[in-house]
Amino acid sequence: MSAPYQPRVPRRFVGSYRPRIDAVEKAHGSAPYADDEIAERNYPGLLHARVLRCPYPRARIKHLDTTKAEALPGVRCLLTYRDPEVARLKPTNAGWTDAVDTVSYDNMMWRKFRDRRVLGDYATWAGDEVGIAIAADTEQIAEQALRMVEVEWEQLPFLLDPISAMQPGAPVIHPEVAEHNVLPPDPIGGPDVFLNRGDVEQGFAGADVVIEMDTSHHNPTQGSLDPWCCVAKWDDDRLTVFSNSYSADQTRMHISQMLDLPIHKVRVISKYVGGQFGRCDTGDQPFFLFTALLARKSGRPVKFKHTRRDSFHDTRQGALYHCKVGAKTDGAITALHFKSIGDIGAHADHSVFALKFAPAEIAEVALAPIPNVKMESYAVYTNRIPSCMMRGVGNSQFNFIFGRMIDGLAERLDMDPIELAIKNFGHEWGSCPDQSLTAVLETGAERIGWADKRHKPGQGPLYEGAKRRGVGFSVHPGWHAEWQEERRGQVQAKVTLYPDGTVTLDAPTVETGTGSNTCNVLGCAEALAFLGARPEDITWVSTVDTDNGMRDCVQTDSAVSFLQSEVLAVVAEQLKQKLVDIAAPVLGVPADQLSIQNGQFVAPGHSVSVKDLLWQGDLVPVSVMVSRRPSTQRTGVPYIASFAEVEVDTETGRTQVLKIVIINDCGTVMYASGAEAQQVGGQVMALGEALTEELIYDPVRGVPLNFNLIDYKMPTILDMPLVEPVLLEVWRGAGEYGACGIGEGTLTCTPRAVANAIHNAIGVRVDELPLTPEKVLRALGKI
Amino acid sequence: MRINGEDREFEVGRDLLPTTTLSAFLRERLGCTGLKISCDEGACGACTIIMDGKAVLSCMLLAVEADGHDLLTIEGLPADDPVIEAFAEQCEPGHGTALQCGYCTPGFVMTARALLDENPTPTLDEVKEALSGNLCRCGCYAGIAMAVGHAAEKIAERGGRA
Repeated sequence: MSAPYQPRVPRRFVGSYRPRIDAVEKAHGSAPYADDEIAERNYPGLLHARVLRCPYPRARIKHLDTTKAEALPGVRCLLTYRDPEVARLKPTNAGWTDAVDTVSYDNMMWRKFRDRRVLGDYATWAGDEVGIAIAADTEQIAEQALRMVEVEWEQLPFLLDPISAMQPGAPVIHPEVAEHNVLPPDPIGGPDVFLNRGDVEQGFAGADVVIEMDTSHHNPTQGSLDPWCCVAKWDDDRLTVFSNSYSADQTRMHISQMLDLPIHKVRVISKYVGGQFGRCDTGDQPFFLFTALLARKSGRPVKFKHTRRDSFHDTRQGALYHCKVGAKTDGAITALHFKSIGDIGAHADHSVFALKFAPAEIAEVALAPIPNVKMESYAVYTNRIPSCMMRGVGNSQFNFIFGRMIDGLAERLDMDPIELAIKNFGHEWGSCPDQSLTAVLETGAERIGWADKRHKPGQGPLYEGAKRRGVGFSVHPGWHAEWQEERRGQVQAKVTLYPDGTVTLDAPTVETGTGSNTCNVLGCAEALAFLGARPEDITWVSTVDTDNGMRDCVQTDSAVSFLQSEVLAVVAEQLKQKLVDIAAPVLGVPADQLSIQNGQFVAPGHSVSVKDLLWQGDLVPVSVMVSRRPSTQRTGVPYIASFAEVEVDTETGRTQVLKIVIINDCGTVMYASGAEAQQVGGQVMALGEALTEELIYDPVRGVPLNFNLIDYKMPTILDMPLVEPVLLEVWRGAGEYGACGIGEGTLTCTPRAVANAIHNAIGVRVDELPLTPEKVLRALGKI
Repeated sequence: MRINGEDREFEVGRDLLPTTTLSAFLRERLGCTGLKISCDEGACGACTIIMDGKAVLSCMLLAVEADGHDLLTIEGLPADDPVIEAFAEQCEPGHGTALQCGYCTPGFVMTARALLDENPTPTLDEVKEALSGNLCRCGCYAGIAMAVGHAAEKIAERGGRA
């Protein structure tokens, strides 16, 4: 078991082990999720909407006959692609923003890739929302009505893999965006060769060893248990939307811009979300729009909720990676060339973020010491489920080849891969060897027993006749330091102090489970130490409501845990000054001679408690609200590593993971129990992605076969090995805490660590995820 | 049916349809929103309640099948229930918390409660076996296992009273 981490700086509350602030209500089942609240008792006259989903991988609606559906008792309202309020909606992209910022239609991130029509007549994957939405008294009636709609489909040729889609003469899926199914260059992602540093050909020519390799990453899905839903309700010309979406400000902007409503005429509210993992970043945003239009047309509140099948609407992006690496015999890498082909599925959304944006960030940090680096990528449409944003976007796919390259090159050079990694990687603001990189690798090696357990590939002892064990690791740079959050813009927090010393904390962010709400309260108590505040004196406002005029800090980039606490440090300074200004005339002391310590005003000849003073007269509440942009001081990043020990049955091909050690250098641990929960929990998603989760398509019909939780195999408690979480504070960023987000980075390295451990165990490589028994047996030459 | 200690009568046609699932009936008709409908096909455990002392998936039963039975939802557990307390309190270093987003938590609490009613001193393997029908996508299994162990200790401290 891990020992508790040792904080670099002793603090009162930040970094502590303690229960979450919402633990009691969640354990009681009383925390209100959107689906619990959007009910007839709260919304009299509530209607339920369902939308037509295309049963074919690619098809166009030639004709819709709604006569029978309209006649079904209980059906209240229909909306089709022929209705003018639908037909005039602009083409869109569900990747307006990754919601770190709030942007208009014209400024959406991927404005060259607007390939989505809201309730259009053209569907590009089996499951695409298309043609018609119906509101009825119950979900069942709406569903039944949809089945009664007579649709005449024109079925079109389809593509299920990106290589076929790149061939000349292949059907073109979105001709208005991509003439040959490959997304064109764009202002954010750049050209196909989006990074070309130094001269890779010269680097390869100067190398003693050059090797090449290929990996394939599949598309697991986020799997949030809380189906995405919303209710739309109109009061005259004002629309209120309540949902379990992870953003409010950007959701309001999306609705306002698409429905052409003034911003103040749209109110968006979000409370608790039963798991996010990237699912709201993209995917199915259009449902807000047709739900709002159905509500306006029917004059009643309308609810739309994904079924479990609908919840399969977005995935991690499948990607084929090729890597060529050249190195000297001492392990110094002279050149790296990465080429990727992304299966972006049926809609572009944020695909280029995964394929170009994220790898370019890695080149800027971990690969900074490598003189010659070339990266190129091709984002290719297919008629599969859309794929882009999932926890660890782009980084997971890149790590699967990056860790392969480290392991493979070290094997070729007969070096320890830990030594090879420390020798080559770092960041441009630090010196090699990088302290954080060294710390995560040496700590991981010690905890997994690297020196004793690592052996030549396939050369370890046999267990029970046919089983072999091995250890492996992978390492990755973090990507949630404060300077990397520059684009987020204003982060806001408001503190209101009452005369009894209690506090209301409004640090708007939707609670999706990450624990940043607890971080906020700990950060607030820490910052208000001069008042003697404790976490139990602070109430965190749990509802995000655009009507309060503050902008929510969206749960993306795993960074909310520290970003709002950095703001709270500034809030505390301003609050202190405000209290001094209030107290000075009351006490008859010049403000510059007055200070506050441990809840007491202190001045020559005076010592009075803050509470006693605030009870005098009408001096309270005292509120301070601060908007602050994240610091842009470039401080580099810390590192992440996963170490895995596996046992492979060479007769069945089954891989059993015996132990995972996950090491995150956090800069500063904001909330230890929450950080460890992210580390331990991240391994569930990571091992599902590595071993058991897989979306399966029927190649003949082009339709998915397992969009359900029975056949899509997410790990249970019985599937999980011992996981040892290790928190480190080695690197330091800017600001009061200098922290780095870790939530996404907990799962990035694990699939590759497992794959490398399998190679160490059996001496052959499996480089295609998921690492199923069939692939292991094939690699062993047994099938 | 008896629901959380109270005898209630309902009429098919007026209060529910023959096709209404027990999970939907409890949530929508009776406001027992602690249980969640996530997969709606018996794969995730989020809708777990206790019927006649056994953990059952309420999405896999029709409401009419509960006729004459004794149902316990998480709303029927006392405020100081040892399982709820243990899930809320878990922060032992090295295991993380027993919940994050909290959506699956009521299902885990009810499954654990049924286990401890039957076996107040389960081994870790027995805990894992009992909870293997419940999914937690945040992945708090290690914290959950610790919480169930602590709940068993609390029950023992209270003289075996669950």
